[in-house]
Amino acid sequence: MKEAVGKPVSHVMVLAVGVVWALIYLVCLVVVKEGSVSRGVGVALALAPILPFIAFLRVLGRSSREADELQQKVQLEAFSFAYPAMMMLLMTLGLLQLVVPLKAEDFSLRHVWAFMPLLYVMGFGLAWRRYK
Amino acid sequence: VKSRLKVLRAEHGWSQQELAERAGVSRQTINAVETERYEPSLSLAFKLAAIFEMTIEAMFEASS
Repeated sequence: MKEAVGKPVSHVMVLAVGVVWALIYLVCLVVVKEGSVSRGVGVALALAPILPFIAFLRVLGRSSREADELQQKVQLEAFSFAYPAMMMLLMTLGLLQLVVPLKAEDFSLRHVWAFMPLLYVMGFGLAWRRYK
Repeated sequence: VKSRLKVLRAEHGWSQQELAERAGVSRQTINAVETERYEPSLSLAFKLAAIFEMTIEAMFEASS
């Protein structure tokens, strides 16, 4: 495997960039939800979290590449759990939506995506236990 | 794969952390290899064998 170039990415840095992205996302969400801004500003705010998220992905990716083989295996297993679990969740919600009126406010895309990191963390925990 | 890692490490008086630093992996990885919960890659197996100056075959054994 190729050695990482440059200063290694610490977990604190990954967390810090993640927190910055989450804060920007929350501020944008609150402002856009209030509806007090024009449509143009609203669209700009809705797109604003993309840049910090890309920064987060880059740091996360570097941290992943620098991780040792067991950590990479655990991350892969976490994704292997989270991806199909998310598919199952969306599939089930989609089917349920046909027969049960789900409140749009509770099951909107801005709520459902949050299950992805949650499922990843669950998958990570399960995989980690296996090798602990 | 059965490994003699724990015995060899103890013979050298190294902690898991010390061995992990020598091998360039995390302590958890050394622990998982020792407890046979994780089978190391060929590259890590070579690295560990080199640290203890022995062959891979002498260090690891395929469990039946």
